[in-house]
Amino acid sequence: MYEIPLITADNFITYALNGLSRGMIIFLVASGLSLIFGLIGLINFAHGSMLALGGYGTYIVIQATGNFWLGLIVSVVLVTLLGFALERKLLYWIYDEPLLGFLGTFGIGLVIEEAIAVYFGSRSYTVSSPLPESVQVLGVSYPSYRLFVILVGALVALGIGALLTKTRLGLEIHATANRQSTAEILGVDTARIYTITFVLGTGLAALAGALTAPITSMYPTIGLDYITMAFLVIIVGGMGSFKGSLVVSLIVGQIIAFGWLVLAPTYVRILIFAAAMVFILYKPRGFFGKPEVHE
Amino acid sequence: MSDTIADIRGFARGTARRPLLALGVLLVLAVPFLFPSQSDLATEALIFGLFAISVDIALGYAGLLTLAPAAFFGLGSYTVAKIVVDYDMSFWLGFPVAIVLALLLAFAVGYIPIKRRIGHVYFVLFTLAFGAIVYDFTFVTTSLTGGSDGLGFFSPPDLFGIDLGAQTPYYYFTLLLVAVVGFGTYVLIKSDYGDVLHATRQNELRMRYLGYDTNRELMIAWLISAGISAFAGAMYVGSVGIASPSDVSFALTGDVIIWIIVGGTGTLLGPFAAAIGLVFTQEILQSVWLEGYRMLLGILFVVFVFVLPDGLMGLIRGDE
Repeated sequence: MYEIPLITADNFITYALNGLSRGMIIFLVASGLSLIFGLIGLINFAHGSMLALGGYGTYIVIQATGNFWLGLIVSVVLVTLLGFALERKLLYWIYDEPLLGFLGTFGIGLVIEEAIAVYFGSRSYTVSSPLPESVQVLGVSYPSYRLFVILVGALVALGIGALLTKTRLGLEIHATANRQSTAEILGVDTARIYTITFVLGTGLAALAGALTAPITSMYPTIGLDYITMAFLVIIVGGMGSFKGSLVVSLIVGQIIAFGWLVLAPTYVRILIFAAAMVFILYKPRGFFGKPEVHE
Repeated sequence: MSDTIADIRGFARGTARRPLLALGVLLVLAVPFLFPSQSDLATEALIFGLFAISVDIALGYAGLLTLAPAAFFGLGSYTVAKIVVDYDMSFWLGFPVAIVLALLLAFAVGYIPIKRRIGHVYFVLFTLAFGAIVYDFTFVTTSLTGGSDGLGFFSPPDLFGIDLGAQTPYYYFTLLLVAVVGFGTYVLIKSDYGDVLHATRQNELRMRYLGYDTNRELMIAWLISAGISAFAGAMYVGSVGIASPSDVSFALTGDVIIWIIVGGTGTLLGPFAAAIGLVFTQEILQSVWLEGYRMLLGILFVVFVFVLPDGLMGLIRGDE
């Protein structure tokens, strides 16, 4: 029914790189969600609004100073602080109740999204790319900003992977996720571990929001679209599995980048969601999931 | 402070209960005369109240937190619109077809999750994916659903010589149906079946040892919830005259969850009253501060989740 259009080798490389940069943004969102879910068991529905805040924060700073990099840093730092305050002051109280946790973060996300809509209106905003020039990659000319996004994603993946596997903190996170009470007895300050994980996850969402601003336009509910996708990524990858969210994010990025050649983009989304539903039913721990935070 | 609350609580539960109820019924009956220009809004409020009741059956009584109630509501409104607009058949045919389709879809979607006992968290994510699929589907299948234009416009037919397309008759029509279905739900929940559901939530294992097929009980609640959601959707499309993607949107799902939490999960009356109250509050606030209304609603919701998770009905009933 559909004919697969012929694509040249150049197009192929461009699509693959597009998919890679897209996948890296999804990965930043999904890995934060996955950390928070894997450790705390919280369905953090406010995660998407943190991404939106990261993007809009960057926009505000750019309007004021004209500097994207400053905007990126300032918005990530501020949103991370907000995540810290939220965790300490509110969410901390409802960790034992998964349903209340979902409802509470859903409400917080709604308030933040609507606050953005009040301030900016519902129209979408774009940010011009801070690295407008293109470079030659594998024989094709490709925007250097997207390469920068791929680089940041790779660095974050390496950094967090090392943090989880090579450091004392990573060990304590694993221990807390596995057996919270045992970890506590052995001297791990689990409340602190919860806070650190939540704040780290929130920071990653804000980073994703700031990085995506020059690529896609921003609208108040941008976060909802991203976290719906990210939730399904972490299900397929395995809840709490860092490696799983990386691999599946990159696969999903490629599926989105190439899928529209054969199917309308919305059908591609529907297929991804349907696949995730099958996974929830038959393989709820996904490809890489173990009942613990896993590298 | 707590004395005042106790006073109000005693007042609402004790002597004033019947007069308050009678006053409520009178007010509902008199709306088209007292506020003639608000009949449409009142109709909408009643329908959303019924929608909140239907979702409360799943969430409050069966413990199934679903993020796809709007999918069933939208199925109801699209089915009626499709039958009237595209197939040019009777408005009344739309209602049974909508309910049957919703039951079939709910069975297909809910069978495996309920049978396999996926946890709360997975059920939330499962229905999130399902709701997203239905929403996307509504947009892309333009020939079936009209895409972003939706399916419209039409008005309900005459019934016994009364033009249901007019505001006031449709209000009373809605009121009658909502009262019948709402009361039916109340009777059902107060029946043995309601007790079984309640006991299943308390201790499912024991109920299984007692010989109850708890999967079946949950499935029945899930089906009833979906069927009434679709029924509410069908009535809604009769009132607004067009089925549009907002009927299946996540925003509507969010609204219904807010109504239930604010009203009090598992109380039927609470979500019903909260939906009506918040629809009217929305109308008033929108004229004052259009952009900020949903933010205020969100703040109200957060306060309820963290401070009063039992909702308004929980406040009135106290700790029983």
